[in-house]
Amino acid sequence: MDLAIETIDLTKKYGSLVAVNRLNLRVIKGTIHGFLGPNGAGKTTTIKILVGLLKPDGGRAIVLGEEVHGDNPRARLKIGYMPELPKFPRHLKGWELLDIYGQMYGMPLQERRARIKRLMEVVGLKGRENDLIGEYSKGMQQRLGIAQALLSEPELVILDEPSLGLDPVGMVEVREMIREIAKDGVTIFLSSHLLSEVEQVCTHISIIHRGICLAEGPLKDIISKISGTAILEVEVAETPDKIVEAVKRLPFVSNIHVEGSKVMIETNADGDVRPQISRAIIETGGTIIYMNVKMRSLEEAFMRLIMKSG
Amino acid sequence: MDKPWKREPKLIGQLWAVVRYELLWNIRKKKFIGVLIVAFAITTLNLTLPVILRRTYNMPIEANPDYVISNSGMGGLMLFLFALVTVMNSISGEFEGGTIVPLLTKPVSRTLILIGKIVAAFITIFAAYLLLYAYMIVGGTLIYGSQNNLNLTPLCILGDLLSTFVWVSIILALGSLTKNTILTSVIAIMVFLAMNIGSSIISVFTESAWMLHYLPGNGAAGYIKVVGQPMVYAGSISTGTDNITKMIIQYCLHPSVNVTYVKVEWRGGTPQGGLSSLLKELYSEPLSLVLFRAISVAAAYIIALITLAWYVFKRTQILE
Ligand SMILES: Nc1ncnc2c1ncn2[C@@H]1O[C@H](COP(=O)(O)OP(=O)(O)OP(=O)(O)O)[C@@H](O)[C@H]1O
Ligand SMILES: [Mg+2]
Repeated sequence: MDLAIETIDLTKKYGSLVAVNRLNLRVIKGTIHGFLGPNGAGKTTTIKILVGLLKPDGGRAIVLGEEVHGDNPRARLKIGYMPELPKFPRHLKGWELLDIYGQMYGMPLQERRARIKRLMEVVGLKGRENDLIGEYSKGMQQRLGIAQALLSEPELVILDEPSLGLDPVGMVEVREMIREIAKDGVTIFLSSHLLSEVEQVCTHISIIHRGICLAEGPLKDIISKISGTAILEVEVAETPDKIVEAVKRLPFVSNIHVEGSKVMIETNADGDVRPQISRAIIETGGTIIYMNVKMRSLEEAFMRLIMKSG
Repeated sequence: MDKPWKREPKLIGQLWAVVRYELLWNIRKKKFIGVLIVAFAITTLNLTLPVILRRTYNMPIEANPDYVISNSGMGGLMLFLFALVTVMNSISGEFEGGTIVPLLTKPVSRTLILIGKIVAAFITIFAAYLLLYAYMIVGGTLIYGSQNNLNLTPLCILGDLLSTFVWVSIILALGSLTKNTILTSVIAIMVFLAMNIGSSIISVFTESAWMLHYLPGNGAAGYIKVVGQPMVYAGSISTGTDNITKMIIQYCLHPSVNVTYVKVEWRGGTPQGGLSSLLKELYSEPLSLVLFRAISVAAAYIIALITLAWYVFKRTQILE
């Protein structure tokens, strides 16, 4: 499997505080990978190592096949990075900044012009490109941050909390933008607090807490692995008591409770257990009107994982 | 996806990007514009004050073909101020504003960024000096008639730039070390004052003037003496890195003079032959040597301090 980002026992300390602790990340090329963790988990620190702003105290980091060590401009050529709460020179105009950054990537003039025009539209700064960045609002600077991360059409886009400080419309736009660029095969690595956002856009996630990676893999796998499997919601026509008894006896059912005519069945089996459950209910003479597998939310999985690790 | 520029961006294009980034900043710095205005105001006063005074007392304005050459070579304070306002936040400001983060994550090396910043400072100060000298030459010619030795002007500008860059490199090194603009400015101003006040005291009252040859700033005061002739006390000259242009002019006009260093010595009683009897001659050196040494010392400071700034900048972790 081709990896866009790989870290091996990556470690970073601030004095005695271990911010990143033997972290092993694997971000597969072409995925939208969410990097989750509570405040102070070490997300920003990890990302800063990946883009060369910080030096690790131990371990390795490999980004797009290039070992990250010291000041390596070549490694940054194929990466677009948006810092957490980005700050840009206040005395430059929006387009000037993008034009200069484009020049640093070696983009020819024509290409820069076209790309900047397009990006300003995409991030919603059209009409403000001639204003000084010092006159931009926080959210506008954030939008400019996204634009400069996408400027060079990078292979890997690293976004540190892209929707921080954006209005609800902006958040939706960012989500759509991420999906859009991912269609071209670009790998996106984004850290976020917004679990619902991650759930909506990410294909893969890593959950980090106190510098340690607690879980990593495809989003769906993680959710089901952490919180057991799905909850089955079954609506029956009558006599739920007998049904409850029968279902409870099934080995993979961990919990069950009744809400009116609905029976909520928690299971901890891998794979689909709907046939066994429906058979058990029918054998008691019950009638199934409706059956639905409810996925647990990422939020639930996340909370469980963080609580468990203390 | 695979465009040729993505594989091999041209270094020169990247350098120009950094220079542009920095130039646009420099010329929009209010403090820089302020110092430029002050410099023009001083030049204007220098040009017109004698005229105004003579007009007031109904005296004729005499032609002075040496006006420009005798006013060439900026004062140490002006050099220092230009250096200060241009580069005081070139490095530290990026850290304080957090703008260092997006900058350093672009595919340009930190070395190139520092070179770009220095090139931009050079262009900015060079342009300012060019304007000031042009103004002085045009004004001087209009008021005092045609001027002699204007062919020395390019050398004068070069000398002033060299003097300024000693301060530029001091300030850049401080900025790289402290990452704090206020601290950088305060220390730089203290160094400047120490070098100017300190050098006068050392030069006038002690016999250790030689050590001023190796420090930045005003340097030791000496007197121009033509070989084989008595000393002319009127021809005083400062020999530090701030005065390279003045020395270049003297050297070009009188290549074989000596510089004699003196100190003030109180011999008791009332001085007989006026002030000059208080002066004790220490030693003499050819002006060519003094000039060559000042240029070498300036170059050594510039190289050493920029290397220091680069070394620290290259290794700094970005915690902001
Ligand atoms: N410059 C610094 N100096 C000292 N400690 C730091 C520094 N930056 C971060 N830390 C510490 O390192 C740990 C990880 O911080 P980091 O910023 O990586 O967390 P994060 O996951 O990005 O958090 P958030 O979600 O709040 O952005 C925290 O405990 C933080 O206090
Ligand atoms: Mg963070």
